[in-house]
This record gives sequence, structure tokens and C-alpha cells, in this order.
Amino acid sequence: MKEACAERGPEKQLIQLETPGLSLPRERSFRSFQKQENFLGKFNQGGILLLAFFLFMALFPSLLAPYAPDERFIPYEAPSREHILGTNDIGNDILSELVYGARISMTVGFAAALISTLIGTILGLCAGYFRGALDELLMGFTDVVLIIPKIPLIIVLGAFLRPSIWVLIPVLGFMSWESTARVTRSKTLQLREAGYVKSALCMGFSPSHIMVSDIFPNIVHILLPKFMLATASAMISEASLSFLGLSDISMKSWGSMLSFAFFRGGFIREMWWWYLPPGICITLCVMAIALIGFGLETKGEKYAGEGADKA
Amino acid sequence: MSGIARKIIRYFASFVLITIINFTLPRLMPGDPVKNLIGEDVYVSEYVMEELRTELGLNRPLHEQFTAFLSDLLHLDMGYSYHLHAPVAEILLDRMGWTLLFVGVSVFIGALLGSLLGALAGWKPERKMSRFAGFAFVVCSCTPPYFLALLSLYLFSFKLGLFPSKGFYDAPEIGSVLHHLFLPVCVMSVFSASRNFLVMRGSVIQEKTQLYSLYARAKGLHDTGILFRHIIKNASLPVITLLALDFGFLFSGALFIEIIFSLNGMGTLIYDAIMGKDYPLLQGAFLVIALTVLFANMLADLLYALIDPRVRRPA
Amino acid sequence: MKVKTSAVKTLLEVRDLEVSFQGVKTVTALSGVSFSIGESETLALVGETGCGKSVVAHVIMRLLPPESRVKGTVELGGKTLLELSEKEMAKIRGREIAIIFQNPSLALNPVYSIGHQLAEPLRVHRKEGKKEALLKAVSTLKNMGFANVGECINYYPSWCSGGMNQRFLIAASTVLSPLLLIADEPSKGLDRKCVAELEVELKKLKVERKTALLLISHDLGFVRRLADRIAVMYAGEIVEISDSSSLFESPLHPYTRGLLNSLPEKGFIPIPGFSPPLSSPPSGCKFHPRCPFREKRCTEKHPELKEIGRMSVRCFLCP
Repeated sequence: MKEACAERGPEKQLIQLETPGLSLPRERSFRSFQKQENFLGKFNQGGILLLAFFLFMALFPSLLAPYAPDERFIPYEAPSREHILGTNDIGNDILSELVYGARISMTVGFAAALISTLIGTILGLCAGYFRGALDELLMGFTDVVLIIPKIPLIIVLGAFLRPSIWVLIPVLGFMSWESTARVTRSKTLQLREAGYVKSALCMGFSPSHIMVSDIFPNIVHILLPKFMLATASAMISEASLSFLGLSDISMKSWGSMLSFAFFRGGFIREMWWWYLPPGICITLCVMAIALIGFGLETKGEKYAGEGADKA
Repeated sequence: MSGIARKIIRYFASFVLITIINFTLPRLMPGDPVKNLIGEDVYVSEYVMEELRTELGLNRPLHEQFTAFLSDLLHLDMGYSYHLHAPVAEILLDRMGWTLLFVGVSVFIGALLGSLLGALAGWKPERKMSRFAGFAFVVCSCTPPYFLALLSLYLFSFKLGLFPSKGFYDAPEIGSVLHHLFLPVCVMSVFSASRNFLVMRGSVIQEKTQLYSLYARAKGLHDTGILFRHIIKNASLPVITLLALDFGFLFSGALFIEIIFSLNGMGTLIYDAIMGKDYPLLQGAFLVIALTVLFANMLADLLYALIDPRVRRPA
Repeated sequence: MKVKTSAVKTLLEVRDLEVSFQGVKTVTALSGVSFSIGESETLALVGETGCGKSVVAHVIMRLLPPESRVKGTVELGGKTLLELSEKEMAKIRGREIAIIFQNPSLALNPVYSIGHQLAEPLRVHRKEGKKEALLKAVSTLKNMGFANVGECINYYPSWCSGGMNQRFLIAASTVLSPLLLIADEPSKGLDRKCVAELEVELKKLKVERKTALLLISHDLGFVRRLADRIAVMYAGEIVEISDSSSLFESPLHPYTRGLLNSLPEKGFIPIPGFSPPLSSPPSGCKFHPRCPFREKRCTEKHPELKEIGRMSVRCFLCP
């Protein structure tokens, strides 16, 4: 019986994209699926290229920036050959600021996402593995925290504490683990019924050992896209908070640049070369990361197809 | 029934958590709690500080302080803003109305627009229009909301002079209000719509593969008839969940847009309070915003239960 | 090739139907399928899972996905269904032909009430108002024998059992009194009591409303009690058509004989081997790898459907 099913397997995977029709149990439709794959593929490739570019900007700023970001020249200058993007209100070259800003924005984004993914994974694993009262408690806790609006809270915190990225990163990280926790929990619930987990239990391995070596490797493929999407959202949050001046002045991220541009007269003076580039950079960088994250998510679904079906 | 009981407990717990945060924050943060409670830039002498310390009850044990705090809250007393020389509650009440109007209208329009376009895009995802709209909305959702506001302010207000750039109204009449609010509402709606679009689109694509949509076709329904008569109601469930989850985020985005457009709502209020280190105002604002979001979540839950009968069982 | 029926007017006629799906490999789901159904007649289509029975149902209703390629003719009361536009076909679906699926709880929309879904065909096809349509739905349910109809109308599919949902589904499909009802594995997943109720329901349709029925099932007992004629399918082809009693008493095709032998009453003897993959069928007769009577010609030439009296068989060995 199993062989018969397997024989028919490869031909029968139909995904209909248009009006509803008969769906034979799994038969890949060549043309329309190819189109969709290409579509995603192009975006994925574009996203990876963009991200690579920004990473390069963040890691090797001195190669791209003409000056150091804190060198002072004549303020409020329009774009010229020496300053391709002009200068800001205290005379720093805007292009250099932009290039060095990549480092800050992306660091905050990745670090905050790392913290939130870590917390979410641990909570989700524990909730899904141990179930029962612990599960209820953790998920209840998640729900309760979910409702509290993060940005107003961070604003209040930021006003009290001295603005610095070492405050910003943990606070952003602690605020966005809910979706990761949920997804990890549901996948863990699924996986803990798998044969190899049960056999590990029988062999007497401790729960933490099982979680780390058996369950965790199988959830990595969902964690990765969640991590990327968390980075994207953390970057936008950071940009918003820096805009309000709640970030380090010594380390200027793109959001801070926008803040200065708006509040120090860049907007009134129609200095689009000051406020457009950082905004565009934020958008492009976030888009690149988000597209890669979505792409990974859909690919993950393809491979985890069986698991998802059984869920 | 236990589902509803659970939800009520969760909402209550959130409420308690919010009040606790509000209470402990000024007392935990570095610096003198008195300063934390009255604001940083207020210039008072040592003697007045001691007076305030007793008045604010900082010498009393914590649980007494908390009870006093709760009773104050129930009397709608959220402290006094020395910065603005008025009780916090009064200031918040005044500004909150405008912000709620702004947010409410924008979120509503955005939800409708995003859902409708998303449903159509999900129904025929291969069409050029769907792909283009999808791409446009992805870009919008990746942009910080205030940047969109900045761009539109520049383009439509400064360059083209079509819309005013400051305040809620020039003269207190409907026409002026609409004119002033048009641009901010547009930006906010686009921002809110982009998230709804993406979720609705994905949801419709998913629901198309379900058996009931095939059966609807078998009953003789045709093209968009199937979409609107059957799929949309099912597909809108994740959208409602998203709206609830997102409301906090949307509200915060609205604050930024208010700042850009210099609207006299909570946004500019909060910004000034940050600059002036007006802590009581900030705390009051946080409390009010958090409670609003909590309330919005409850409404969304109610709406969800109304639409999805699987959540409620017959007696 | 026309298959003779008894002296009843032909309602549905299917000729040389061929359906293939484009994919990584092209799969031919149906080849050379021909049969007809007379008015008020019940034709059953039986066969193993994957032999193409459901595809027949979906082809007639034009519910196949866009990757399908269909050749042949399907005529309903003179109209060639395969040539109609989607809009015209939508007018016929639900009104002249209706279908019920094997998973009633999934076929009904979970967020709309039963009453709403029952009344829907009336509103869509006959443009009736909400209230009148609901009243008609109520009376339909009363006729089916439901006890507290007033409450049932406001129920949702998730609140009811599978058996109840199946009957609701039948009600919704037949509210416009279609000429032909296609039942795609209606008894799957139902327990004995529900299957008995289902049989009663279908019999009522046949006798009282004179609806023709295309019954697709792999449950031979169920089919025996309901069908006038039975068509046996294997690997996308019809291998035998005969009236119900003759098929069970004296089956002609070796596959049919094997099927009947595998029934519990006859000893549970399975047919050896597995059904062939549809993308690479065996040469000659598609059943020959598993046939205990095969000869050399069975591996080389492909048999046609021969008529023998009132029956038809696709086998070289049958006279």
C-alpha cells in the first residue's frame, strides 16, 4: 500500500491558484507553480543583493564614506562635488553620516531581534514541551503582554532613562517575542509526538537535552524567517524611537538623521537631500530583510509540507 | 464558556499589569522618585521637595501608596503637570478626543480599503494589478509611518500647496477640519491598509483551496460572487485578529504622523513632554493609551465571536 | 460509442471522455469514458481509490482546475456542457445538475447558518428575496423529516454531526429540484446509522422527485441497494457496465470478479498487485498485470468496450 502511494506521489501535487477546482491529492502544476516560484525567486535574489549591499555598508563604512561622520564643515550646504549629499545642521557630511548610520540601525535591529527570538524560542519550547499548567501560564503571560502597547511604554522608559542603544536594544527585544513564542509552541507540540522524541524519552534523556538536540534543529527553519521579520520590525521601531530623540546622539542611526532633519530645520528649508536618503535606506533595508524573511517562510512551508498538513 | 472566562481573566490581568507598571515605573527608575513624579525640569527648593514627598506619600509603605494610587485613578486624578500647569487628566482628555477621532477614522478606512483590495488581489493573484498593488503595499508597510507622512507633507502641502500643514483647523467648522485632516488621514489609512491588504490576500488565497468554496461554485455561484458571498467572511477572521494585535502599533504610528503634521493631539503632547521631561504627563498618557488599546482588543474579540460561530457553542 | 439503456429517455450522455492533467509529467486521468444516464435512473460508478471516479463527477460539473485538458462530449438534455462559457455553466450548476461531496462538514461554509446556505441557491438562481427563500428552506427541511426545524435553521455546520450535515448538504443541493444529482462518495466517513438515513434520503429523491442519480462510491453494498445500473472503473477507464443484479450475480470482467471476491461475504480475497500509476499505464489491457486469466494478446492490444446484450465489457476474454 505504501509503495503504491509513493509511486503516485511525485505526479500528484496540485496547487491551484485560480478559481476553485478539483484538487487531486497533491499534484504539482508545472506552469503556474513555476511562475510563482520565479516571482518569489526574483524578489528573493533582489532582497539578498540589497541586504548584502547594506551589510557591506555597515561592516566597511570607511570604504564607502568620503569623510568621518563627525568631521565638521560648513553647515546646511546643498549637494556639491565635495559633499554629494550636502551637510547637516552642524556641518557633518550627510553621505558619511548615512553610511555610518547603517551600522547602528542594523545592529539595533539584529540585536533586538536576536533577544526577542531567543526569548520566544525558549518560552515556546517550554510551553509546547511541558504543556499543562506551565503552558497555560506562559501563553497567558504572552497574551497579557501582547496587549500592552510597546512604543508608548518604550517612550516612557526612554524618557526616564538616559537615551542609549544599550537601553533600546534590550527593551525592543523584550517587547516582541509573542509571535515567535506562539509559532515555536505549536511546532513543538507537533514534534513532541514524533517517534524520535518518544524514543529519546524512553532512553532516559532529560527534557532539556531533548529540546536542544531533537526538537530545536527541526524548528530552525521556522525560526530563521521569524528572526528576519523581527529584525525588520525592530528596525522600524528603532527608526520611530530615534525620531523622537530617544536614541543615542553619539551614535546616529538613520532614524536619528531623520529626526535631526525634521527638527533642525531641514524640512522647512526643503533640504530633501538630508531627509530623503535615510528614509529610503530604512525602507529598502527593511524591505530586503522582510522579503528574504517571507521567501524563507514560503520555502519552509514547502519542505515542512507534511507536518503542516498533519497540523 | 470557559473560553470567555479565560479571555476576561486575561484582559483583567492586562489591566492590572498596566496599572502596576504605571505605579512602579516612577518609583523604580533611577533618580529621585519625587522628581520622577513631578517632572525633571521643575525647579523646586529642598523644602518644597520634602513637602511634596510627604504629600505624594513617598514615605508611606508601598501597599498604602498603591491603594492611594488606585483610588486616585478611580477619581480620574492622574497627577499634575507642573510643566503645563494643569491636571494631567484634563490635558489628556482634551487632546485624546482629537487623536481618537483621527485614529478611529483612519484605521476604519484603512481596514476597509486594505481588506477589499486584498480580497480582490487574493482572488486573482496572477493579474498585473494584484502584483503591483501587492508590491506597493509591501513597500508601504516597510516604511516608517512618519516618513510617508513627511513625503506627503512635502509633496502635497509644501510643493503643491493643496493642503494646510498645521493644526486641526483654522476656523472651528467642519470644512476646515476636513481640509486639515485629509492628508494625515490618507497617510494613516494607507499605512493601516497595507498590513490589512497583505493578511487578507494571504487569507483569501488560503480559503480558495477549501472545499466550501468549490461547493459554492458547484451551487452555481460565479467568479466574484463566490468571493463576496462566501470567502470574504471566512477570510476576514485573521484580519480582525491582526487588527486587534496591531492596534497598539497603529496607534503609535498615528502619534508620529500627528507630530509631522503638527496636529494638536497626543502625538505633539507626548513629544513636548519628552523634551520637557514631564513625567506625570507621560505616565498618564501611557496609561490612557494602554487602556484604549486594551479596549480595542476587547472590541475585536467581540467582533470575532460575532462572525465566527465556531467560537460560540449552543447552550 | 453509444451504450444502450432501457427504454427511458436519456438525460446525460458522456462520449469518449478523455481528461489529462499537465504537470511535471502529464497524467491521463480518464480515457475513453462513455456512459449515459436516463431520466430518474440511478447509475453507480464504482472502483478503487484513484481510478478516476471523482474526476468524472468534476468533469461533468466543469469543476476541474485550469491545468486540465478535456476531450470528448458531455450532453445534458441536448446541451453540450463542455462548450459552454463559465457564466452559462454557472447557471446550470445547482439548478439542473447538483453535486454533493464526501466531506459534508467541510463543504458547508462554517460561518453561515444552515438556513442561509440552504436558501442560497434560491436567492442566486431564482432571485428570490431572503425571507421567501428561508421559508422555502424551512419547508424543505420539514419534508426531509427534521424535528425542530425552527432551531435547525439557525444552526451552524460545526454544531452538527457529520450525518446531519450530509442531509443538509443534500437539501441544499436539491432545493431547486435538479434533473441530475451527482453524489461523490456520500457515505464515506459516516457510521452505519447515517448511511442508512442517507440511503432513505437518496431513495426518496429517486422515487418522489424523480431525480437521476450518479452515485460514486467504493462501497459495493451501499451501491447494490440503490443503483439501477453499475459501471465499474479501473485506471481511468470503464471496464464493465451492467444492471445491478446481473453485476452481482454474474460479473463478467476479471476485475469486477476480483472486487466482489474481496467483499467480506465472499471471503475477503484481495486482488494481488497495485493499481498502475496513471502517468505510465501498462501496455495493452490496463488490468493485465493483476489478471489471473491473462493471455498474450492482453499484454499487446488494448480492448474496446464491447456490448453484450444489455451489458458492456472491456475484455478480450468475454464472449
